[in-house]
Amino acid sequence: MRLTFLPTTIAHWARAAMAFGTVAISSGCNLNFWKMDGPQSTINVAGPVARSQLQVFYVTCWVTLAIFVIVASVLAYATLKFKARSEADAHAEPPAQSHGNPLIELGLIGASVFALVIIAVPTLKAIWFTYDVPAEEKANTYTVNATAYQWWFKFDYPSEQIAGVGPLTASNELVIPAGRPVRIDLRTMDVIHSFWIPKLAGKVDMIPNRGNAIWLEADAPGYFWGQCAEFCGDPHAIMRFRVIALGPQEFYDWVNRELAPARQVVPSASTAPFTTHTFKTDWMRNQYGYTGKYDADPLQSWREKQEPEPGENPALIAQGRRLFQSKTCITCHTIRGHEGTGAVAPDLTHVGSRTTIVAGLLENNTDQLRRWIHNPDSVKPGNKMYLGLGGMPGYLKKDDQGAWVPNITLTADDETALVAYLQSLK
Amino acid sequence: MDASAHSSDLTPGASAPHQPYVLWRPTAKTGLMSWLTTVDHKRIGFLYGLFALFFFLVGGCEALLIRLQLAVPNNNVLSAHEYSAMFTMHGTTMIFLAVMPLGAAFFNFIMPLQIGARDVAFPRLNAFSLWTFVAGAIILNVGWFLPDGPPNATWVGYAPLTSRTFMPGHSVDFWVLGLQLLGAASIAAALNFIVTIINLRAPGMTMMRLPVFTWMTLITSFLIILSFPAITIALVELLMDRTFGTNFFEVSNGGMPILWQHLFWIFGHPEVYILILPAMGIVSEILPTFSRKPLFGYPIVVFSGASIGFLGFAVWSHHMFTTGMGTVATAAFALATMAIAVPTGVKIFNWIGTLWGGHLQMRTPMMFALGFIWMFMIGGFSGVMHSAAPADAQQQDSYFVVAHFHYVLIGGSIFALLAGIHYWFPLMFGRQVSEFWGKLSFWIIFVGFNVTFFPMHFLGLNGMPRRTFTYDSNMGWNTANLISTVGAFTLGVGIALYFAVVIYTYIKGKTVGRDPWDARTLEWSIPNPPPEYNFLVTPTIHARDAFWYEKHHQAEIAQEKTAHAQAESAHGGIHMPHQSIWPLIASLGALIGAFGAVYHNLPVALVGGVVLLAGIYLWSLEGVDGYHLHLDADGNPVEDPSAHH
Amino acid sequence: MSSHAATGTIDHHHDPSTSTGIPNKKLLMWAFLASDCMFFGALISTHLIYRLHPPSDSLSPKAVFDIPLTSFSTFILLMSSLMMALAVNAIQKGNLKSLRLSLLMTMFFGAIFLGCQVYEFNNFVFEKHLTITNSILGTTFFTLTGTHGTHVAIGVLWLGLMYVRSYKPTGSSVGGHPWANNLLHVAALVGTLVLVVKFVIELVWSLQGFNGYAMASFYGREFLTLAGTLVCLGGCFWFARPAGTVDFGERNAIDVESMGLYWHFVDIVWIVIFTAVYLLEYV
Repeated sequence: MRLTFLPTTIAHWARAAMAFGTVAISSGCNLNFWKMDGPQSTINVAGPVARSQLQVFYVTCWVTLAIFVIVASVLAYATLKFKARSEADAHAEPPAQSHGNPLIELGLIGASVFALVIIAVPTLKAIWFTYDVPAEEKANTYTVNATAYQWWFKFDYPSEQIAGVGPLTASNELVIPAGRPVRIDLRTMDVIHSFWIPKLAGKVDMIPNRGNAIWLEADAPGYFWGQCAEFCGDPHAIMRFRVIALGPQEFYDWVNRELAPARQVVPSASTAPFTTHTFKTDWMRNQYGYTGKYDADPLQSWREKQEPEPGENPALIAQGRRLFQSKTCITCHTIRGHEGTGAVAPDLTHVGSRTTIVAGLLENNTDQLRRWIHNPDSVKPGNKMYLGLGGMPGYLKKDDQGAWVPNITLTADDETALVAYLQSLK
Repeated sequence: MDASAHSSDLTPGASAPHQPYVLWRPTAKTGLMSWLTTVDHKRIGFLYGLFALFFFLVGGCEALLIRLQLAVPNNNVLSAHEYSAMFTMHGTTMIFLAVMPLGAAFFNFIMPLQIGARDVAFPRLNAFSLWTFVAGAIILNVGWFLPDGPPNATWVGYAPLTSRTFMPGHSVDFWVLGLQLLGAASIAAALNFIVTIINLRAPGMTMMRLPVFTWMTLITSFLIILSFPAITIALVELLMDRTFGTNFFEVSNGGMPILWQHLFWIFGHPEVYILILPAMGIVSEILPTFSRKPLFGYPIVVFSGASIGFLGFAVWSHHMFTTGMGTVATAAFALATMAIAVPTGVKIFNWIGTLWGGHLQMRTPMMFALGFIWMFMIGGFSGVMHSAAPADAQQQDSYFVVAHFHYVLIGGSIFALLAGIHYWFPLMFGRQVSEFWGKLSFWIIFVGFNVTFFPMHFLGLNGMPRRTFTYDSNMGWNTANLISTVGAFTLGVGIALYFAVVIYTYIKGKTVGRDPWDARTLEWSIPNPPPEYNFLVTPTIHARDAFWYEKHHQAEIAQEKTAHAQAESAHGGIHMPHQSIWPLIASLGALIGAFGAVYHNLPVALVGGVVLLAGIYLWSLEGVDGYHLHLDADGNPVEDPSAHH
Repeated sequence: MSSHAATGTIDHHHDPSTSTGIPNKKLLMWAFLASDCMFFGALISTHLIYRLHPPSDSLSPKAVFDIPLTSFSTFILLMSSLMMALAVNAIQKGNLKSLRLSLLMTMFFGAIFLGCQVYEFNNFVFEKHLTITNSILGTTFFTLTGTHGTHVAIGVLWLGLMYVRSYKPTGSSVGGHPWANNLLHVAALVGTLVLVVKFVIELVWSLQGFNGYAMASFYGREFLTLAGTLVCLGGCFWFARPAGTVDFGERNAIDVESMGLYWHFVDIVWIVIFTAVYLLEYV
């Protein structure tokens, strides 16, 4: 045993650790991570269901912490007190060969049961509370249907019917009234997914051939992050969504805007000349897709997205609309009022008014939209727009030999026009 | 125990000369053939351990790649597809190919020694379990080297993601067939252990004198034979869906994917106890030895182990709190889960009671055992938090759960198994691990483990879902993930050091004599490494800590042993079972058959089936022959006093 | 199980070489059957759960099942259990002749049961159009009863091996094992059973004029089956000729007994299946 070797090693490690720590802190690591105040925090909650679940968590946390402190102290004391401290100690006569004490054991069993009762009572209460909307609030409840697909969410509003079409449909961004219970029926069209908005409510699974439901309520207007919480295939990590809770008037206005068909941008005489914009094209796989402005205040960003984009180019938009048709996008996507009635992909009628695209992965702006339609597979590997769905080809198709060959190809100009068109759909 | 009426009277190690070639009985005691045909429980245990540690390192490397990908947000080390394969194989490997077989290694090696037996009840069945386990491990991992790729649908394989619609390649078939073989191997081994423990105890070894490790082996074996059928049937149903187009989980024809979850967790929850009970058994051996006093409240420890096993079958749905079971079912399973905390807590109280008033020897195994108590306590407490169903709705499938089960499975199972390796190393190989290096590896593992997994509690409560290959930098998860990755590599260094030390000790370590720890149970009463026949004279047991009693009543025991040796010698000597090649052949058939089934190739599957049947047929035809050893008091062979052929 | 058990009387209820007095093989079988209970439990539960949640367009089980036929095969299986009990009783008294007869009868009844199942499956698939893929009922029904049928088939094979084992000549473990004889004997026995069952099923189909089968051409079509049956039967008689002493007797009772446990278990499982799958539809 070369103990002399030890101090150098420790010094070496300490230097390495310090160097590492410096790099970590200087590169913007936030060491306050134990505050757990991220956008998907289950501690920093914003609704009664999540709050009830948090209270149960606190009860379990404090009870177990108290027991831990007691048991750990006894364990630490016993370890230190009865430790053999010298050679002589280690070779002393063995201690008394006692076999146990039934009274102590029964007492401890009783104490454990008592501690569990403390946890069990609030648990049972919260099971019933979180299961369904309380009876006295049933009348005030707003209902939405959520349907999961590989790898995005569709939201139907059964109380907002559009004549000849059916219920109002939105994708990946669920807008709900704040201060009102919302009951969401959960379905899936393929594999199991799970519906989770940590700040509003714990998750409930969406299981094929089974009807589940969740209820939640946002205390105040706000912008909330949600994510699929059951592994559903390789791109599971990028199956996200947002919930936007609005006050009564703002919600009413939003519904009315949504009920309208897609916006028509009329080409005017003073149309600007057709130009190819420059876009960033060297995106890395998994590269971050948000701007600082969005991160600072997402709800404000959402409100701004409801207004038409500045500097719209009607000619470009018209070109994009033609491409949306000719490149067969319309077979899967619906743009109500324009061409396209496909129902297997997200409804794009008002896609320009959402804050996010690609199931909550990227911010909805020209750069990111271009990045997405330029090479969908590098943004969201394995997605159905790229590989096709149910025999319908996507960007790729299978040839007679079963090899993947290109089906949809877009030039830089095509992409510019499509981006302009989709951004105009407010 | 297994000789037929005409098997006796063969000289030591001799083959039967007139056997036809087909029923040739291997007799090699060294070399490759001796290992392939061995029926010795110690050799089989050693092989189980060797394979388990290999796969433990494989699973560990998979874990490091996972942590590397998650070290920083928006990272690019692994693609989404590679990441799915990595965590699927990490989970499956660690559970089925590392922790379970490492437990089986100790069951095999230690348990018969603890009850004073010369082998398990069915030695050839034991060999079959080993080789079928190897076959399953091959099938499970072979996808890495084939175009279909390794399994990538999570270790729980929730339907309908595993159907041919969503997973058209053969990767899921590798998973299904691999688990089927591993299940068959586990059930066969468990049946063997049950019969061994119930029937092969030495005289005087009553059930309430069994060492706690043997008790936990028995309970674990019962859990295996009663829980594995559920997953076997679930896998059969999945295999039928994928191969023959049946409708068990086919939604369009009325199949209900939720059924998979029920069947899986009826297996899956007892499986958790299959992983932890052996660990509790090991710790219950180590703590008394190094405290130099008996286990506190032995009957309560045994009964709490049994009640954990029993309740383990009544709580499976707590893995499904988010599936919308309804209020009453959720409440019932929440309460049942809380109830399990009582027998678990009792064990911790009893371990502390064992330390209390002892003379604690802080040797390396003791360090790992104490580390186990601390870590298992934390894992247990986060388990209680999960039992509160409303809180679990937030924690389910988040990193909080990942933290919880790693505290139970690494801090619990792995720490105890690492403790067991150090503890029984002198018995197995006659060498002892250096205290300095052993303790150094313990501290690096202990620190690395906590740095890796403690931050995951925060990640989970901050909303990070598990099984995600990437995350954005604006979620507040960056620092904790980085710390966790640094911890994972520290843990990796600790494990590497641990193995380096163990390998060094195996080759050049300090040799030690019999019973270096002043231990209490029967396995320490024999020379190390143990001779093939284990006990020169079948021991008689007078007390719970049998060897401790022996050491303190030496005159009485010596007299008794002489008398027993004479009786045994007059009775034909020490009976040893013959080696056999047929278990290996039968397992080879299972391997070929599984390949055929994976690729839906009927001829190959039939060939495999025929080899399997032929192996079993010849196995039964060669019979349970054996031979007898006649040894003097020092273990040297002597002329058979009653030799007549 | 002790190597010295050949002398003196054998106590069939206590094995002094084990801690509990229960022979190892018997304990192994009991533990295995506990495990097997869970296998069938999972399959029967699957069937019962789907029975409660049938898809809207599913076939009614009552339109498919043929209760008289299944009752008959159930009765046959019960009788085979009786034969199995007689076999165990015979070997415990060392009566080899009676043992062999009882084993053959058990096998014969087991084969009839399997024949009924083959007939039933064919009938369901081709006449009632219930297949393993076209409905959830077919999926669960065929998987459950098929698994049980596999258990019966393994049992019949095991019975055959045990029957052949009872002809092992004394001293063969040293003087050259007649393993080739053994294999041929098993082949003849199993061949006889399979061919007889095939012959009977073809006969029934022809009598019913099922799916293009006609009685007129029956013997022409089944000539090879008949010839094969006679050859196999001849083989069975040849191997069963009286020849020297055999290495099989009272001490092997435990082998027959553990096989009997398995056989009775498979029988009991069938009673449960018959009740839970068939009769439950008529309650």
